This record gives sequence, structure tokens and C-alpha cells, in this order.
Amino acid sequence: MDELPYKTILCDVLVVGAGGAGCRAAIEASRLNLDVIMLSKELIGKAHTSMAEGGYNVSLGNVDPDDNPETHFKDTIVGGNYLNNQELAEILVNDASERVFDLEEMGALFDRTPEGKIAQRTFGKQSWRRTAYASDRTGSEIMITLVEGIRKESVRVFDEIFATRLLVQDGRIAGVTAIDLKYGDYLVFRAQAVVMATGGAGRIFTVTSNAQLDVGDGYAMAFEAGCDIIDMEMIQFHPTGMVAPESAKGRLVTEAVRGEGGILLNNKGERFMNNYYPEVMELAGRDQVARSIMTEVLAGRGSPDGGVYLSISHLPKRIVEFRLESMIEQFGDAGVDIRDAPMQVSPTAHHFMGGLKTDTNAQTTIPGLYAAGECTGGIHGGNRLGGNALLDTQVFGAIAGGNAARFAKEHERPGVDRKEIQKEFNRLEAMLKRKEGISPAVARKELTDLMWSKVQIFRKEEEIAYAVKELKRIEKEVVPNIKVDVPIKRFNPGWHQAIEFGHMVITARMVAEGAFMRKGSRGAHYRVDADPDDDGYYNIVIRRGSKGEMKLQKEDLVITKIPPP
Amino acid sequence: MTKKFKASIERYNPDTDDTPYFEDFEVEYEPGMTVLDALLYVQDKYDSSLAFRWECRGGQCGSCAVRVNTIARIACRTKVDPDADLVLQPMQKMPVIKDLVVDMTQTENRIRRIRPYVARDKPPERPEIIHSQDIEILREIRKCIECSACLSNCPIVHETWDYPGPMIIRQLARLELDPRDVEDRIAMAMDEAVYSCTTCKLCEDICPKNIKIPKLAVELLRAKAVEAGYPLLAGQQIFVDSMKKTGRSVPEKKTPLLKDLGTEEFLVENPIGRVAFFTGCLIDYRMQSTGRALIEVLNRNNVDVIVPKEQWCCASPAFRTGDMETAIMCTEKVTKIFEDAMDKYDLDTVIIACAGCGKTLQEDHRPLIEEMRGTPPRFKVYDMAEYLIDVVGMDRIVKPTGELDLKVTYHEPCHLGRGQSVVDQPIELLKLIPGVEYIDDPYKNRCCGAGGGLRAGKRDLSMQIAKTKKEYIEATGADMVTTECPFCTIQINDIMKGTDIPCLYMPDLLLESYKKGDEKKTGEKRAKAKAEA
Ligand SMILES: Cc1cc2nc3c(=O)[nH]c(=O)nc-3n(C[C@H](O)[C@H](O)[C@H](O)COP(=O)(O)OP(=O)(O)OC[C@H]3O[C@@H](n4cnc5c(N)ncnc54)[C@H](O)[C@@H]3O)c2cc1C
Ligand code: SF4
Ligand code: SF4
Ligand code: FES
Repeated sequence: MDELPYKTILCDVLVVGAGGAGCRAAIEASRLNLDVIMLSKELIGKAHTSMAEGGYNVSLGNVDPDDNPETHFKDTIVGGNYLNNQELAEILVNDASERVFDLEEMGALFDRTPEGKIAQRTFGKQSWRRTAYASDRTGSEIMITLVEGIRKESVRVFDEIFATRLLVQDGRIAGVTAIDLKYGDYLVFRAQAVVMATGGAGRIFTVTSNAQLDVGDGYAMAFEAGCDIIDMEMIQFHPTGMVAPESAKGRLVTEAVRGEGGILLNNKGERFMNNYYPEVMELAGRDQVARSIMTEVLAGRGSPDGGVYLSISHLPKRIVEFRLESMIEQFGDAGVDIRDAPMQVSPTAHHFMGGLKTDTNAQTTIPGLYAAGECTGGIHGGNRLGGNALLDTQVFGAIAGGNAARFAKEHERPGVDRKEIQKEFNRLEAMLKRKEGISPAVARKELTDLMWSKVQIFRKEEEIAYAVKELKRIEKEVVPNIKVDVPIKRFNPGWHQAIEFGHMVITARMVAEGAFMRKGSRGAHYRVDADPDDDGYYNIVIRRGSKGEMKLQKEDLVITKIPPP
Repeated sequence: MTKKFKASIERYNPDTDDTPYFEDFEVEYEPGMTVLDALLYVQDKYDSSLAFRWECRGGQCGSCAVRVNTIARIACRTKVDPDADLVLQPMQKMPVIKDLVVDMTQTENRIRRIRPYVARDKPPERPEIIHSQDIEILREIRKCIECSACLSNCPIVHETWDYPGPMIIRQLARLELDPRDVEDRIAMAMDEAVYSCTTCKLCEDICPKNIKIPKLAVELLRAKAVEAGYPLLAGQQIFVDSMKKTGRSVPEKKTPLLKDLGTEEFLVENPIGRVAFFTGCLIDYRMQSTGRALIEVLNRNNVDVIVPKEQWCCASPAFRTGDMETAIMCTEKVTKIFEDAMDKYDLDTVIIACAGCGKTLQEDHRPLIEEMRGTPPRFKVYDMAEYLIDVVGMDRIVKPTGELDLKVTYHEPCHLGRGQSVVDQPIELLKLIPGVEYIDDPYKNRCCGAGGGLRAGKRDLSMQIAKTKKEYIEATGADMVTTECPFCTIQINDIMKGTDIPCLYMPDLLLESYKKGDEKKTGEKRAKAKAEA
């Protein structure tokens, strides 16, 4: 093993991730007068959160006065197929309004009601109009606001830094190893407390609505560090992704289109949701709409490019222009004027309900390690409601940041194991030195195609088993042989992808293993060959065994108010 | 067979290369392909170490700005033209880290200098009442995704970071417009050199969110500054005062064109159209011969020209610098003069040969008049070249015949190209002149530095920008540069002093060819008559 040079950077609280959750956590921690560092793979403000479109759920009752947190809670649990951790879901709905006011205090501008209050729109599976929005660029509005917030606080922003491994010392979190994407230097960040806010992993599928960065680093790093991971089989396929042109495939068509009255049609012009969910039609749960669309497509009633039609041309143009401006732009680029012509859509890998298991303090199972946002699991159960994820980032971002800061105040900074650090950097260095091997682009394609074809919307025992077997093979044969074509460290995307690949494989395997264990259909996990005896009312928790193996275990649901039927 | 095109990408690894170099890649075209798709293609197929940034691939994150054929744009929403080469370079002003990835440190520092957040002096009520009408414009300029493309393109930022650039001046306006922010953003705008922008509109033109920065940020902040009692820059105040008094922004020197013409009517035998000519201050007071040339060129193309005797300044200097009172006064006057001419002479078209005036009539007068009285001005406004090419049309145009043996390039006035979407017509006109070899300048649409009150108010900065322009022009190897704006003509002639490249106003060049053609004809006639005799 070579002695590789690296630099160590100290802070009190380290936040890994600069999306909605990471920024919110960093702001909260810095307000408690601690030295906070926030890491991200991309430049500040460019995180995946900026892509969210539709909105943020909060039961303010500004439009429908009968709404309240209680109903929001119920919708969230029913929508989540009762798999949600109800303790967390209660916090989610109760803190929603204070966190949206925080955002406004920082400078956010949501669209207004005539009285000057926050306007609210319809989203799927909700009893009332509850979703606060800024046209269909709500995520961008929130991201811009948080960046304004960060620029006001004394958070130290280390952007374009890639964390590769969590460091654990005597059972406590101690920091992370990382590389500087710009110049390729090896770095160690040490802190008393760490917040994981690393987002989702849509990119382990060929067709996804997610940003480049969402490859699941957080899940993999946490697993490797011994953290409990929950509900990884629960992946939301958003029913409406773009299908054409090829390069736009998977890009999200916001649920707000259906919320505003958009209808789904097959190639015969039938409003087919009538055959599946006649009471709620297009506003059925995301999993339900996704399966309905796929059923139409598989039955040959799809559009030319393999989707179905989504139309809003019956709505007044003025409304479309005001409330769906990004969609006009997005389809305009593809040559479709959605004010007149229908869009073609089909499902796309969108959201990870599963992730790091946290308690009501946003604390993971590793002391000092907190987590928030899409990288956590349990809050949304088997299916996340549209608008609940942005909410999640704010509510649990604030809690994680606050608690990490308090933890940091009460504890000394742990030491680190320098051998472990050297081992990690040597692993990264080896990818550059290898003469023979597999290029990350090829490996990545194999992996994403495998996941897209075998662990997708309609799941089957043999297919999942095949995927698990393949993933184990990839882990053994491909991962250790990943080779970077051009062996330089300075901003080298080939190297970044090579490092990411290892994380993607671990994340993918957790998804596949969870899906294999869950024999019945529940929430977003739909088994074509569902075992009727599996009622599905449990969570699956994954933990690393002493030999590095993946240990899966069923756990009882956390229920406070609403038991499953 | 799939179509292929060439992508030339600027490569640079400062660790190993002394200077940047270009590397060419062959890319297979797919319908709808974006620049980002092309970059990903190259990265996947040829070189995984090719460095560029991207995240959302949909114009939402602002990561992917690069220079595409010299102008910075976001890669993921810029379509590839498979019939042309694609030249990709890193953004300007920001130092290269590697290939197309640039260092944003300075940009981030620059943003932070303006305290870029809503400053509050007490915590707000929860909920806070904010009315839609109070945040309407704000909503527009808040869409910025901080892609920084506009910073890379801004001619002022190119010269100096004293001016924070479009993205950041926009953030200042966003905060000024926010009813919740308590800072004195106007004082800050003055400190941040808000009067440095030439309103060249390059930022607006490439903004993926179509934010009208010059109007909604720069001019808005300037108007508020004037309202707050800040004086205009010395050089600018003279213009505005003069305009208020005499209807002209500059003082009289030799006899003005309008006084000298003697008549309002320049009619032809079988007219194919009739137009009124809006001279603008400079043609009337300083470039009389250009004015005459324009009338003659139109007449030669069988168009009746009416030149109202009493004209007034379009108030461009007032609009650009924020003196709205004067701006409104002039707008009303100009509208009345030309609506009267419409009625008196039975016409509906106004021709302008000054890019700045044309833009002002189209973009400022129209909405203002409409706001004031419910309907916009009744006449249509055309630039001279636009009228000749689009209205008279290629089949009816009387082509000049005199040969001018010249390599000619063109400077596209900001307020013509981006202000009025007149891009190709002047070049088509140029190409009609026999003997002229047109040389395209890839930087032809870069600002000359005269506009926005800059030449008047901040001459040094203005000339610095012009110097950059000079380098572009010289690089073309042309003998002459032409343009269609008196301001640009003066500015470019100023900076080209000492070189042998003159700048000529388009009507003048056209007339030269027409006249030479006449000589040729009379010469031929004479020769013929002589031979017959
Ligand atoms: C297209 C789209 C539309 C959506 N619309 C909505 C909506 O309308 N309403 C709603 O509620 N939800 C919506 N969602 C979901 C929501 O946007 C996400 O769940 C949420 O933004 C996740 O935020 P986050 O802060 O957890 O993570 P992200 O925003 O994904 O940020 C993750 C951060 O972690 C960093 N990171 C990751 N790995 C590493 C590493 N190894 N080292 C360093 N940094 C790392 C990244 O760089 C990034 O900064 C949408 C999602 C998509 C894809
Ligand atoms: S109008 Fe031109 S000078 Fe003014 S900010 Fe935009 S790019 Fe810069
Ligand atoms: S104003 Fe437009 S071009 Fe400039 S940074 Fe913002 S989005 Fe980009
Ligand atoms: S990749 Fe996000 S704006 Fe282009």
C-alpha cells in the first residue's frame, strides 16, 4: 500500500449534500454558532432539488379551510400503504407550516391567493388542495432561496467535493474521505457530527427523472459504515416521464399537469384511467397510474414512441402559461406546443422511498450520524405523495442540522484510523493505475439496463433473483476491475464515474435484495407473482454483516395512530 | 445513413499543457440533439476525461453553460445544427480548471458582495401577507438559475468586475423589488456601477429563462435611482436637458437635415410604397448626407418618402438612463408627429435607419403608449434594410450596379439585431453590391460600447469595450466595416482611427454603388452614342 498524500480539514458539523435537505441542515447548524462545512458533488445551487417542479405539501388551509395536519397525516399514511414510520410522518405534517414560513422568511416567493396568502393546488391522493407552489418551478424557487440563505450564514461551502467513504471511530462517526473534483486532491473531513443529505439514486435505472448526481453514494457509504437502511425495495416510478426525443427520455412531466386537469389518453383516444381507478382517475397514486399506463402500453394501446398521451389542450391557455411555464419550455424544446398538442409520457424512475433509517431526532443508527431528505427511509412508506419530498427536506433538514449541532457541542471530535484512510485512497488510486479493466461507461450501462429490465414496475421472482445474482457477479468481477481510461486526477469525469460505480452497485443490490425478500405486492413494490399470504405490513431493514455481507431483516411497522386495515 | 458533424472542443489541462488547443471529434447526429448530448457522446465514445459540467439536462440547474460558436449558452437547451461545425469553448472571464470547466470562485465572491439575500430588520409575521401584484415582475426576474452564461458574454464584465454583470445586477433588482427587503438597494446599485451597462441585450438574448435584464433590472434600477434623486452622469445630463428643450439630444452644428431639405415630400413616379422617415437626432444634426442617401436609396427603389419637418428625439437616452419623465414626454410627441403624418399623407409605415431609435420606438414607445391610452401607435416601424429586403422584396429591389472592389464586414448594432430581430437583411443588402466580398465576423454582434449612455457618461470604459471590438474587426481582414446605426458608426470610426479600416453607414455605401452604376451607364451610353455617331 502506498502512502498517498492527503489534507485534513476540520469542522464541527459536516453536511454531506447541498440539496434542499443539506442546505437546510447547514443553515440550522450554523445558526447554533458552530463551524459548518457543506460538501456537494456539484456547484452550489445546482443540486437535484432545483429540478423539483410541482410543489411542497403543507396543510395551511388557505384554499380549502378544512384541511389540517391530521388529514395530511392520514393521506400520507394511506398513500404510503401504511408502511410509513408514523412517528416521523407526524413530525413531517406538524412542522410543515413553520418550515414553509422559514423559507418565506429567507426570501422564497410562492404563488399567492387573492388575499395574499400562499396559494395551494391539487396533487395526487390528497383530500384537499394542499400543495404550495411557485408555478412549476417550486424546487428551483426553494433551491434559490436556500442558496440565498447559505450566502447569509457563515457556512463554509466546499462544492465539487466527492465524499467516498464514511469514517467511523469506536462506533462513532468521525468524518469522511473525499476527493476534490476540481483538482483531484485527496481530502479528509473530520467533524464531531455528520449529516447525510445525499439524495436519491434514480440513476441506477436507465430511464430516470433524476440529476446526474443521484447515483446512491449516500446509501452505499452508509451501508458500508454499518448503518441500518430501510425500505430499499420501495422505488417510485413516476407515471409521467418524457419518451421522446431519445436524449430527453425519462425527464419528468410534473404531476401538476394532472393536478391542473390534464387527462391521460391511449391511442384510441380513450381516457383509460376510467377502466382502472374511476373515482380518482388521473389523480390515483403514482404507482397506480404508472401501472395503468404500462398496462395500456403492453396491450398495444400506446403512442408511437411507446408511451400514452397526456393532454391539457382543453384548458385555457392562460392557465397553462401561468402555472406550467417549465412544461411549455420543456416540450417546446422537443417541438411540442402543449397548449395545443398532447404530450407523450411513460413511467420513469423517480424517487427512493427507502434509505438511511432515522429516528425522530433524524439520528441514524450510528452515533453522531444524522440524515435528512431523500437519502433517508421510512417517512414515506411504500409510496411518497407528490409534494411530500420537498417538505421532507425542510422538516428533517432542520431537525438533522439542529441535532447534529447539539451533538457536536456535547462531544469531542473523534480521531480517525489512518490505515483505513490510506486503504480508501489506495482503492481510488488503483482505478487510475490499472492497465487492464472495464471502463465505467460500459459497466454503468450494463448495470442500469439490468435494473431497468429486471427490477422495475412489474416485478417477478425469477427476474429479481437473476438481478441479485448478476449484481453479486458485478460486485466481484467488475467493481474491482474498473479502470479509468485517462489516468489523471484533475477534473476527470471518467474517474468520478468509476468511483460512483461501486456505490451504484451496492445501492442496486440493496434494492434487488429487498425486492426479492418482499414476496407480496405493497406500495410501489408490485409483484406480478404476488404471494397472497404476504400481507406486506412490515419494513425490510438491511445491515452490513461482520464479513461485509448484506443482512436483511423484517421489522414491525412503527404505528402511532392509524393501524393498517 | 446517420448524419455526422464535427465538434471542435477546446481542451486544456494546465498541469500538462501550456496553452489551450482544439480537438476535433466526429459526432453522430440525432434529431433534437443538444450541445450537451454531443458532449456526452464525445465523453462516452472517445474520451471519458473530457471535462464539462451538467446535472439536470433540462435547463433547471444552470450547471452546463459553455461557449457555443463564440457565445456562452446552456448546453442542455442549445440545439445542434448538424450542417455546421460546432465549436465549444469554456466560458470567458472565469479561469479554466480543465477543458470546459471553469473556476467560479470569483463569480461567487462577486455575488456575495451585494448581500444577495432578503435583508430584514425584524422577523416577519407568520403567515406573511404578500399580494400577487406586488411580486409580478419579481417573479419574472427570479427565474434565474445562475448559469453565468450572461456574465461570460457581457461586454462590461469582459473589461471589468467593477460592474457585477447581468446575473448579479438582476439579483439586485430582484431584491429592490422585493417588498420585504430593507436594504437601500438603489444606493448599492450606484455603488455597483449600474450605469456601466450598454443595454446591448446579449444577456437577454441568451438567457435560458428569457429574463429581460436590461429592461427589468438595469433600466429599472436606473429609473429608481433618478426617482430617488441621484443625478445622471454629467455627460448624460447634457443630452437629456437638450432633448427636453430642443427635441434633439445634441446641439446644432451645421444646418440640420430637416431644415435643409426644404420639402417634406420625396415622391417618385410609380410608387410601390410610401413611408415616413424618422431621422433621429444624429442623422438630422450630424450625418445629414446619410439622411439624404437614405431618401435617395428608397426613391431609387420606387418608394415615396415623406420627411415630417418637425421631428423629436425618441428619448432613447432618457429611457436608457432612467429619466422617465422626459421619456414619456418625448414618446407622446413622436407618436403624435407620425400619426399626424399618417393621416396627412395616407401611409402606415415609418422607416428608421438608426438602430437605437428603432429599438426605442418598437420596444419602449409601443408598450408605453399602449399602457397610457389602451392602443399602441398606429404605424408600423421598419429598419431600412428590413424594409428593403422584406417589404420591397428581392424581386422588386432595384439592385445597385456600380462595382466596389472591397472586402466588407458588418457590425450588427445591438439594438438592431437583438433589439429588433434584424439580423440577416443588412448582410443580404451588402451582398447585392457588385464586387463586394462579404466577410463574416463571428463576433459581429458584440457591443461596440457606445450604447446605454456609456459613450456619453463613461467614455473610458466605453472606449475599452470598443478596443475589444476593434480586435474582432481587425481579425476579419476586411477593408471596411459597415453598420446601420449612427452611434456605432461614430464609435467604431473613433476606435479604428490609425488603421485603414473605415466604418461606413449602410445607406452611404449603397448610394456609392448606385452612383457608380449611374456613371457606368452614362459612360456606356456616351460610348454607345459615340460609336453610333
Ligand atoms: C424531476 C423531479 C421533480 C420533483 N418534483 C417534486 C415535487 O414537486 N415535490 C416534491 O416534494 N418532490 C419532488 N421531487 C423529489 C425531490 O425533488 C427530491 O426528493 C428532493 O429534492 C431531494 O432533496 P435532497 O436534499 O434530499 O437531495 P438532492 O437535492 O438530490 O441533493 C443531494 C446532494 O447530495 C450531494 N451528494 C450526493 N452524494 C454525494 C457524495 N458522495 N459526496 C458529496 N456530496 C454528495 C449532491 O451533490 C447533492 O448536493 C422531484 C424529483 C424529481 C427528480
Ligand atoms: S445588456 Fe449587455 S452590457 Fe448590459 S448587462 Fe446585459 S450583456 Fe452586459
Ligand atoms: S440571468 Fe439568465 S443567463 Fe444570466 S445567469 Fe440567470 S439564467 Fe443564466
Ligand atoms: S444541465 Fe442543468 S441547466 Fe443544463
